[in-house]
Amino acid sequence: MKRLVLTLSTVALILPADAFARGVFDPTKEFEQSEWIPIHLGPLNLSVTEAVAYLMLGSVMTILFGLYFMRGRIGKQAGRRETLGEMVYEIAQTQVAEQGLPTKAIGRWFPYVATLMLFIFVVNLIGFIPLPLTGKTYHGVPTWGIYAATSSLSVTLALALLTFVFTHYEGIKWNGPVRYFKSWIPEAPKPLLGLIVPLEILGQFMRLISLSVRLFANMLAGHILILTFIGLIFILQNVFLALVVVPVGILFYLFEVLIVIGIQAFIFAALSAIYIGSAIEPEH
Amino acid sequence: MLGTILAATTGDVTKAGKAIGLALGVGLGALGAGVGIGNIFGSMIQSVARQPELRGELQGIQWLGFALTEAVVFYGLLGSILAYVLV
Repeated sequence: MKRLVLTLSTVALILPADAFARGVFDPTKEFEQSEWIPIHLGPLNLSVTEAVAYLMLGSVMTILFGLYFMRGRIGKQAGRRETLGEMVYEIAQTQVAEQGLPTKAIGRWFPYVATLMLFIFVVNLIGFIPLPLTGKTYHGVPTWGIYAATSSLSVTLALALLTFVFTHYEGIKWNGPVRYFKSWIPEAPKPLLGLIVPLEILGQFMRLISLSVRLFANMLAGHILILTFIGLIFILQNVFLALVVVPVGILFYLFEVLIVIGIQAFIFAALSAIYIGSAIEPEH
Repeated sequence: MLGTILAATTGDVTKAGKAIGLALGVGLGALGAGVGIGNIFGSMIQSVARQPELRGELQGIQWLGFALTEAVVFYGLLGSILAYVLV
């Protein structure tokens, strides 16, 4: 079964129908959004695009993942399903929540960071499964392609904004506004403060950028790498290149799926936990 | 991107310059991150060799450091792409 899935996904990757249909292949064009269901509210554009569709799918899959692996009935003997569910839960608890959050805040913020980890992992994973959601058709048949919602900056920026808002909300709630904003100012000689304080304030906003850009650029670069390598065949118009290019593409695909997506989900959740934790207990 | 590298051979100097800038940005970013990631994993191997019982605790920190360092490449990549598209 596993081998069948692997073979099928490999074949789907080898044959990018888009490229055959269009003649000219440009990997960067693969990330353009097309409005499927246009919804315009004044200046707001709330249209359902590729990214929105993938996010909806990701949400549903995350809920199903949680229900299947963690809410299932536990028999006398823990099966593979329970073991996997417990493993994910344990990583979320010991590696993510307990590393960053202080004990008094774990009950309140563990659900958030665990959800973040699961959700980003599932959305990233869906991004590497070829699906007929490219919005293009080839002789009436929808073409298959890979696209990750997290390779759009709006999505990751929204996730990072959540963490950013929660961080300062919690900091003010636990410490009071005066003590919290005072904790931003480090111990330093007076003349240097004029230089350090703006840097510290800038640093708070840099967190927002680094958190969102890390995930976004990782996923974008992964997809561009795979698409470019496969696309070399169509750019240089030489079929024999496939002998070199397809194994390299598969290698990058496996690297992304096995290592990168898990780490990125973990990092996003862990850093969120650390940021929120450091706002609740600024002394540490 | 690759198409423009090919276009450069036909004498389009602006595009060639952009392509060189992009490659330099990503390449130098990758250089720094390569050194950093090597450092992290080297230190991890040393720590585990000295105190194998700390492996579990160290692993979380290791991956955190890995991702933080690796992200540097992508800042370079993003800056380069921005320069490539906007200039």
